[in-house]
Formats: sequence, structure tokens, C-alpha cells
Amino acid sequence: MRWRHSVFAGLMSALTALAAATEDAGITVRDAWVRETPPGMAMTAGYMVLQNKTSRRQVLVAARSSGFETVTIHRTVAKEGMTGMEHSPQIQLLPNASLPFAPGGYHLMLLNPKRTLHAGDRVEITLEFRGGLVLPVAYEVRR
Amino acid sequence: MSVRYFVKKISLKFSVMMTTVVLAAMLVWLAAAYRENGSRAIFLPDQVMTLFPDPKPLTAFAFTDHENRVFDLSRLKGKWSFLFFGYTHCPDICPTTLATLARAHENIAKSTAGAKDVQFVFISVDPNRDTASKLGQYVSYFDATFLGVTGDDAQLGKLAGQLGAAYQVEVKPGAENYPVYHAAAVFLVDPRARYLAVFAPPLDAQEVGRRFEVLRQLDGPKAI
Ligand SMILES: [Cu+2]
Repeated sequence: MRWRHSVFAGLMSALTALAAATEDAGITVRDAWVRETPPGMAMTAGYMVLQNKTSRRQVLVAARSSGFETVTIHRTVAKEGMTGMEHSPQIQLLPNASLPFAPGGYHLMLLNPKRTLHAGDRVEITLEFRGGLVLPVAYEVRR
Repeated sequence: MSVRYFVKKISLKFSVMMTTVVLAAMLVWLAAAYRENGSRAIFLPDQVMTLFPDPKPLTAFAFTDHENRVFDLSRLKGKWSFLFFGYTHCPDICPTTLATLARAHENIAKSTAGAKDVQFVFISVDPNRDTASKLGQYVSYFDATFLGVTGDDAQLGKLAGQLGAAYQVEVKPGAENYPVYHAAAVFLVDPRARYLAVFAPPLDAQEVGRRFEVLRQLDGPKAI
């Protein structure tokens, strides 16, 4: 069973290296928060400001979290005087620019939390960028 | 698998309404200045709120509130009503707006005239999922005084049509989630059940509260 451990360790260090690579690439996240779920509701949204400090275009392709059944990237859009949501499978981050995920715009759509979220809790969501970069981010639950 | 659509589109009516809104966008907003300076009211276009100079009396509709009471036109009389259309399975715009309205309510409650003659009504366009008990649980999370109401498509259409509040629900039987589109604006109905003003998103609690105070003062005690 020893080899399993070393495979696991190898994987972990690879992941750590990837995370480090992301740091080097200079994609940072600030003001990351998730809205507390109203009682009985099984969905909520996550927000943040993504900052691409590199001189290259970066593309956010996915987000995942063990805290929710599904995490999808959504955008609230206006349509004929109405608002609704649409799936945004890829989000471009321009070089040296920041992109807000904020109410009424881009958001992480979080379905079926594994446990009830209360203001003050922390929940981790991992952002995946094209090229294999992954960025684990701690989101604060806010009311 | 059969897919059933309930589509309520009021887009044409809505664009006509929006044109009216733009034309009517000459707003009494400097009424506060008018009071201070004793000068005549100055009309200004306003990004936050559009006031209708000749508010239209609303006509009959029948909903049910979250305590299973009838919520019809008579419930809009004698009170200022902030109306917002949405649905509880809405993760972004609805909670954002309700949280903002809860803060606006706090601001109004702190004013000298208070909030006794003001009600906030969340109108669900998704009666398929939003039962009375769900609505009650949902709205009271934001503010204990908020009302949650809903009705069938015909009744929803009656009120939404008068306000130019377009909505579209694509119910897929058996599916947990389906797309819902709804107006993001907040509608203000005066105590004579007339459609007086509309607040455009994104909403700011202070701005909403401030403008409402001006409108209520202008209306004077005769309203109720
Ligand atoms: Cu969404």
C-alpha cells in the first residue's frame, strides 16, 4: 500500500506546484464572498473580483467545490426589459485587468450546499483556468 | 419528454411604456430644493426613479399572500406599496433587491413619518414552485414585515401588464430548475392604488428612501 501513498504525495505536490504556478502567473482574487442562503433555499451565488496581473489573456473555464452539488459560472443579463441568467462557460480576463463578479452581473451559481451556510462561515471554491491553472479560493459567507 | 411553456410577454407594451417613461422622465426631484429655496419645483431627469406626472389607477387583480389571505386591489389602498416581481429560486437579482429594499425600509422607518403606511410586496411569477409557506419563509428572512404574494398566470399578467413588468417562465414539469425572466425594477404604488413611480436597477437603499420621502411629502396627508 506504500506506493499508493507516494502516488498520492506525488499528486499533491503536483497540485501544489500548479497552485504555485497560478501564483506566479499572477491571477489573484479579492473580496470573495458567498451569499448566505435564505431558509429552505438550495441555491445561492458567489462573488469576487478577479485580477489578472499577467501580460497575457487568461480564461476562466470552470469552478468546483466539494461544498456544493454543482458550481457553474453564470451571468445575469437583461433581455427585453427583463433580467435572467445565462451560463457563461468561458470568461476572458484581459491582461492586467480586473473583472468583478458582482450582484446583477457575473456570479458563481451554487446549487445544493452540502450544509447550511451561515454568515461568517468559509467555503472553498476552486477556480480553473485554461492551461490547467487552478486557484483555490476561500469565500466568506455573508448575509 | 414534454416541455410546457408558460410565456407571458409584454415586450411591446413594455417598450411603449419605456418610451412613456423616457418622455415622463422630467422629474420633480428638485422638490427638496424647492422646499428649501421657496422657488418653483424644477423638473429634472432622474436615473434612479421615474415619476409619472399623471399616475394611472390600477385595476382589479387577485393574488394570495403568504398567509393564504386574498391580496387584491383593496390591499394596495391606504398604503404606499413597493412592488417587486421575482421568484425564490433566484440566486442573484432577487435576494440582492430584497436585501436593498429591507435597508430602504429601515431608512424609511427612521424618518419622521415612519413606515407604518408603507408595505413591501414580493410578487412571485413562479407559483409552480413558490407556495405560500415557501414565500413566507423567504420574504421574512429579509424583513419580517415583507409580504410574499403570487397568483396564476392570468392574475399575474393583469397586474404585471399594468406596470409594464415583463416576465417569462419556462416551466419544465419534473425539472427542479428552469429559466425565469422578470423585471428588475421596483414599482411604487400610491395609497390610492395608482402607479406613481418606478425605480430602475441597480437599486440603492438610500436613494430609494430619499426619493420616497420627497414623494410622500409632496403627496401630503390628503392621500390617506
Ligand atoms: Cu445564476
